[in-house]
Amino acid sequence: MIRLQNVTKDYGGRPALVNVNLHIALGEFAFLVGPSGAGKSTLMRLLYREETPTSGSVFVGGVNLTRLHKRQVPLLRRRLGTIFQDYKLLPRQTVFNNVAYILRALGVDEKEVAKRVQSALSVVSLEHKVDAYPDELSGGEQQRVGIARAIVNGPPVLLADEPTGNLDPATSLEIVQLLERIAERGTTVFISTHDTTIVNALRRRVIYLKGGEIVSDVDSGVYELESNLNV
Amino acid sequence: MRQLRIFFRVIIETGIGVRRSGWSNWLVVSILAIALTIFGCILQVTMTMKNVVTAWGSQLEISAYLKDGFQPKRVAREISQIPEVQLVEIVTKDVAWDEMKATFKVASLANPLPNTLHIRASNPDAVEAVAAKVKLLGAVENIRYPLKVARKINELRNFIEIAGFAITAALSAATLTVIGNTIHLLIESRQREIEILSLMGVSPFYIKGPFVLQGAAYGAGSATVAIIVLAIMHLYLDPYITDQLVSLAPFLPRNIEYEMWQTFGILLGLGVLVGAGGSAWTSGRYIKI
Repeated sequence: MIRLQNVTKDYGGRPALVNVNLHIALGEFAFLVGPSGAGKSTLMRLLYREETPTSGSVFVGGVNLTRLHKRQVPLLRRRLGTIFQDYKLLPRQTVFNNVAYILRALGVDEKEVAKRVQSALSVVSLEHKVDAYPDELSGGEQQRVGIARAIVNGPPVLLADEPTGNLDPATSLEIVQLLERIAERGTTVFISTHDTTIVNALRRRVIYLKGGEIVSDVDSGVYELESNLNV
Repeated sequence: MRQLRIFFRVIIETGIGVRRSGWSNWLVVSILAIALTIFGCILQVTMTMKNVVTAWGSQLEISAYLKDGFQPKRVAREISQIPEVQLVEIVTKDVAWDEMKATFKVASLANPLPNTLHIRASNPDAVEAVAAKVKLLGAVENIRYPLKVARKINELRNFIEIAGFAITAALSAATLTVIGNTIHLLIESRQREIEILSLMGVSPFYIKGPFVLQGAAYGAGSATVAIIVLAIMHLYLDPYITDQLVSLAPFLPRNIEYEMWQTFGILLGLGVLVGAGGSAWTSGRYIKI
């Protein structure tokens, strides 16, 4: 579902990613971890085509993003659900409208919009907050709205860039468990994080990035690099 | 159906954008309405001047003096076949002689005057060309027409046209700048929202469309205000202007054409076009998707 082949990305001679090779299968759940500046966000940005690699190829759902025309980028992003650290909710829209936005922009009829939004909100247990505005919600609730928005169009891949970065540990765990449940329904979930607690609690695949290179990739890993290297 | 729903949603988004713009809507529409009213006035003046000059030019006559032995009616028929000829008037030598005798004391002698045709061209541009064609006819002995006046009139009309075009271009540029800057400010204030929409995979048409329609709405709104102002001016000022013009130049017709509907159409079209064009250009430049 996600494949990186010899991907290098540098910003004016400063390398962010160096010769990265990675494969994440359909329905898989994986963490991308590493210290600040390791290249996690750069890698995620390559996957939703906010950046292009300096060299190498990036494939998502069989599509080579390095050859993707600018006009086709929105089509790619509709097939991805993306979750951000700062939630990126539309501040002047209600919860319902935030989740419904992409469906309306795609010309889905209102009955179908209502049905799909309700369904997405029920997955994140926020059906009772449809009329609330983002600033009336807690951080955890805002992130759940972000997740509902990401899954409302039924994407096969869910990318989460530091989704728990602004949340307390208990809420973080709740959010990641929610993402785990979504993965169980067949969606590929790829989470970049530096949150030790959630990685160690879930014991899922952990890809460790350091200095722009993958230094470890283990199936039931923990956050600490040394422990993974000894597996 | 899906495309129609998308277009409908873009219109709704435009409405939301206009509502959010608040007081700045009034500011933009006011500035543009002033610019378009000035433009409408200038357009009106140039078009009226052009009509006045054309009306003046249409008074120009070519006098063709015929050789003896040619039937004036037959020659007049031949001349009226020339496409640019609007009117041919025959003054026979007998009529001319009678008029002359009535006006001046002339000795009793044989009528020395030729049969004469007075020819009017359909527009001042054509006077010279018609004169040249008439002169070539075998029946025509000589022609006379105010060549210098015809040329001056044409120069004046051309100048009015060029001046009108230059003013249109200048005011269009000013209008474009106002709309462009306003839409730029709106884009800046909604940059985060645009970024979010782009990351969600919303199409550029859906993101930029409301800004373009908002610009078009500004143009249409401002043009409507300008049209109302001009219509009021037309109602109360035009009779006075006609009186003044005719008293200054009595040869002018009293029914000067003011071409109001044409001006209104141009204002509305220009407003919408410049509004949408300015916004499209600004959106293309500042919305990076």
